[in-house]
Amino acid sequence: MKPFDQFDDPRRRILIQALAAGFFSAPWGAAAQSVFGSTPRRLPAGQSIYRASGRVLVNSREATLATPIKPGDVVETAPGGELVFVLAEEAFILRGESRVVIENPPPSSPLKTALRLATGKLLSVFGRGRPTRIVTATATIGVRGTGVYAESDPEQTYFCTCYGVADITANNDRQSKETVAATHHNRPLYIAAKASAGNSIRRAPFINHTDQELMLIEALVGRTPPFVFPMNDYNAPRREYP
Amino acid sequence: MHRGGSIRSRRRSFAAATALAGAAVLPPIAHGADAEFTATIVEASFTADNNVSRSSSDEALSDRFLGVRVGKGFVLPVSARTRAVIQAFAGGERFGTYSGLSHAYIGGQGDFQFRSSGEFAAATYGLYFRTQAEYYDSELRDGYRHAFGLSVLKPVTDRMQLFAALQQNIGDGKSTVFDTKSTSLRGNLDWSLGRWDTLYLGAEYRRGDVVSSGTQSLARVDTADAIVQDDAFTDKGYFAYRFQANTGLATLGYNHAFAEKHSLDLSWRYAQSKPLHPSGYGSASDIRYTVSQVSLAYLVRF
Repeated sequence: MKPFDQFDDPRRRILIQALAAGFFSAPWGAAAQSVFGSTPRRLPAGQSIYRASGRVLVNSREATLATPIKPGDVVETAPGGELVFVLAEEAFILRGESRVVIENPPPSSPLKTALRLATGKLLSVFGRGRPTRIVTATATIGVRGTGVYAESDPEQTYFCTCYGVADITANNDRQSKETVAATHHNRPLYIAAKASAGNSIRRAPFINHTDQELMLIEALVGRTPPFVFPMNDYNAPRREYP
Repeated sequence: MHRGGSIRSRRRSFAAATALAGAAVLPPIAHGADAEFTATIVEASFTADNNVSRSSSDEALSDRFLGVRVGKGFVLPVSARTRAVIQAFAGGERFGTYSGLSHAYIGGQGDFQFRSSGEFAAATYGLYFRTQAEYYDSELRDGYRHAFGLSVLKPVTDRMQLFAALQQNIGDGKSTVFDTKSTSLRGNLDWSLGRWDTLYLGAEYRRGDVVSSGTQSLARVDTADAIVQDDAFTDKGYFAYRFQANTGLATLGYNHAFAEKHSLDLSWRYAQSKPLHPSGYGSASDIRYTVSQVSLAYLVRF
């Protein structure tokens, strides 16, 4: 009889060889995660990226799941790409064809985070007591402990205060300002680049983000959104099968 | 066994009143403090069905039909973790060849739901009741359908979501043959392939009454609990038989969304029904049937 530490069963040998070759480790795990998904949980310390699909650049270099993201970085996505990432107590989904600059507020500033969304689409959740500023092509928005969605292009900004409080000001029209206190996507807005004084902000429909996405990114920073039931009105219409 | 399928007068008021009452109270309740209307969803579909008569394979009749459905509802928060969802819906299906199967329907559904928190993976548990009135171009199938059950909806990962329901189904037709009861257990898995594409798989097991149409045979007469000459297939001389069966259903579907308001849905459904108490006369294949449906639907929300 062979001692226990010697292989007897060829299947066992193949399994051990496969494990040694990393067959069941990171690349396959990442592939399985990209296909079947994973349950979002608070990311381990030091990990910034939860999911990256398509071409994603951090400081002009191709990003991987191991790439850290920190204040001062520039994050870009190619058309069709998407990046789900965390920065301190904040979490984001950056959609395709987007560019966001994560600014480094000076220590004397009350701001904890400052973002410059030059172009593209960004869903964000911020921790309580962490004042944040978002600057888009046409608007400057101060947010506190909230979830927001912004789409920025040179002509206009779409901005939804999903929950929490946001102070919105048009960049080219300081008379156009509004404070939105929302519980559940109550008042989406467009902020135009060009409009008569005082009329740069107008109501907008609800577009392009879901409650499931908000729950996902809140989970990455160990929080839950203030709503309990997601509204399915924000997802694609589905058939009823009685 | 009920023979001849006597047409009984029915208490129709219950389901109709429920549906109408739902429609009547819906606006005032929804104007309450926290109530919210859900979007209206309109669905237009084309379906090819290889066995609309639910007959054994040698007598199966295929047909195609166009369908339309409109649904609207509102959500009423009850507490921090519970809510009621009331929906009203109406629609119809127009068959190409067997026009007796063409019908219109109107109904309502009420759900009472519980979710423990806003956590991503928290399950939503529901109790629901649905009722609908159906008006066929033929006579015997006119009537009501009711269903009540328990459901659970749970995100498994950020790409997959599971739905399961245990449901009691009750059919109340003009003819006794279409008075049916069955219990079903069903599951559905949604697999998101991308932001706008979802593949879904469904499986269902039903135990209880089914109605199958076909020519008269000793095996069918012996198995059936009720029989009537089927007025939807008069030119074929078919009879409708009600008997108890085990039925399995499988669904494979693909939903492609065009942004949030429009989607195209292609699905295939397969069903197989076998009698619970097969007759000693003839073979089991005289009674059991299979159905294959392919359906393409366009859905719009506004």
